[in-house]
Amino acid sequence: MTCLLRVNGVHFGYQGNSVLRQATFDLEEGSCSALIGTNGVGKTTLLRIAAGVLRPASGSVSLRGRPMETIHLKEIARTIALVPQQLELPFEFTVQQVVEQGRTPYIGMLRGPGRSDRMAVDRALDLADISSLRHRIFNELSGGERQRVKIALGLAQQPSLLLLDEPTQNLDIGRQVELIDLLHFLQAEGITILASMHDLHLVDKNFSSVLLLSPGQPLASGSPEQMLKPSILERAFQCPPDRHPLLIGRAELYRREAL
Amino acid sequence: MAIEIATVSGAPPVGNLRQEPDAGGRHRRKLDPLALVVLLMVALGAVALGSLATGAVSISPRTILAAMLGRHPLTGTERVILFHVRLPRVLASGLVGSGLALAGLLFQGLFRNPIADPYVIGSSGGAVFGACIGIFFFSQWSIFGFSATALLAFAGSAATMALVYALARSAGKTNVVTLLLAGFAISTMFTNTSYFFELFDKTGASNRILISWLHGIIGIPAWTNLGVSAFLIAFATVASLPLMRTLNTLALGDEYAQQLGIRVESARVWIILMGSLLTAVAVSLGGMISFAGLIVPHVARLLLGPDHVRLLPVTALAGAIFIMLADTLARTVFAPSEVPVGILMAFIGGPFFLYLLRKMKRSYTV
Repeated sequence: MTCLLRVNGVHFGYQGNSVLRQATFDLEEGSCSALIGTNGVGKTTLLRIAAGVLRPASGSVSLRGRPMETIHLKEIARTIALVPQQLELPFEFTVQQVVEQGRTPYIGMLRGPGRSDRMAVDRALDLADISSLRHRIFNELSGGERQRVKIALGLAQQPSLLLLDEPTQNLDIGRQVELIDLLHFLQAEGITILASMHDLHLVDKNFSSVLLLSPGQPLASGSPEQMLKPSILERAFQCPPDRHPLLIGRAELYRREAL
Repeated sequence: MAIEIATVSGAPPVGNLRQEPDAGGRHRRKLDPLALVVLLMVALGAVALGSLATGAVSISPRTILAAMLGRHPLTGTERVILFHVRLPRVLASGLVGSGLALAGLLFQGLFRNPIADPYVIGSSGGAVFGACIGIFFFSQWSIFGFSATALLAFAGSAATMALVYALARSAGKTNVVTLLLAGFAISTMFTNTSYFFELFDKTGASNRILISWLHGIIGIPAWTNLGVSAFLIAFATVASLPLMRTLNTLALGDEYAQQLGIRVESARVWIILMGSLLTAVAVSLGGMISFAGLIVPHVARLLLGPDHVRLLPVTALAGAIFIMLADTLARTVFAPSEVPVGILMAFIGGPFFLYLLRKMKRSYTV
């Protein structure tokens, strides 16, 4: 497999407070990775750096072997889509108008959207299952519907790498399953996925690798089996092993497997 | 490997799953933008004709039309009234309206805020201040055919916008309260400092110009001045066209826009420059006219939705019609006295601004 994105020794801080220290990882083409860690540990920051929105204080990020800072913004936008946690709009844009913004890196300043742009938008709306909402006003949608619009916006960019910041937030369990199915479908289409996740139940069977950010520790990575061990999670999340059903359940699972 | 979504095979995995009920949601049904542009062009012609016909000496629209077609010769008096008094003023009011409305559209998009207007956020005040320096100290100077007064009005407007923008921005967002307070403070400071220049005026001539600007009176400009102003408004409008799609993307937020390939900083600079140029031209023709840049883009948005590409021509035309009508009212309602159009607009725009503030509190998330 070839490396799509390489993050090497990245350091980043806000106003002197260090958030990321020596973060290093590779994303292989077609992989589906989960980024986990405690609140405020720097997951969103790492995704923003991977998307080229933030420049690391030190270290390097390269896309298909090319340093990120040497690549034109529009080329990055045609390759990487970041689906953020929040999207607030000041005016009454419809869902379709919001998703059409995903075509910005393909449309020149004076040229309007063409047939391929309209097809890409329709496809993105279909994939996110929001075609019926296309004429609704974004600001009037529920949290779950907005989440799907943001994903459609990212898909309209036709990216090779889709970065999702807590994509299951505001989704009920049925929609969470739909989202996971969508991620599998996109992965099968060749899109590389990196999603920051809080719900570790969803990470276990659905992601091929896990990146773990722990406060003050270097970024660790491995398969879900390696990274979701109770001993690792207990240390990373500073959670007593007998207090959370996930850790209790996984401890039980590992006991059974050992037998 | 970038996928070509248009050629991707296979059904999306969620298509056969539950579809969320769509009933009850508000759908956008807006007017056809092309039809609205045609309608506004006809309305602009009708309003301009009505405005030319109205005044202390009444000349019927039919007479004006017949004269334009060469079928009815005008009397000497009618010719002077029409071509030396009313026509320059009607054209000036149209340019002022277009300039202020387009500047409002640009600033509202830039600040992601429907209450941004050249007057409210201090851009007009900055232009008047810059122009005052030009009138009182550099009235004989010109560069490349542009008077120092006009250039300093532009510089004052752009510098004020940059200052207000820098003050109102924090962590990638525009704070509404800071925006209003900074705009109010700078506008008040500049307006009152402009009065200070009276002390330097020995003859009173400059002072009269200053007062008419501060009250918002559209005078009767010289044809050369009108030509330069029309060129600048046309230039800024055409130069703003490519920025309209950028404004749509900027509505998602600066970081999102950058992630979509927009060079946010350079886009901001262009938007501020074009908005300031439009404000400066409008101020140089009509002085401080409040709220036109607030009301017109807002009404256009209600009719067409928030797509800036569609809003540009409609805002320009509607702005011209709006100020043309307001100026006709201003010079005829209390005839033979004349109400400064700036004061008339304050009566109309003030309550509208309060209404918008109240509406924002309810429905806008900024």
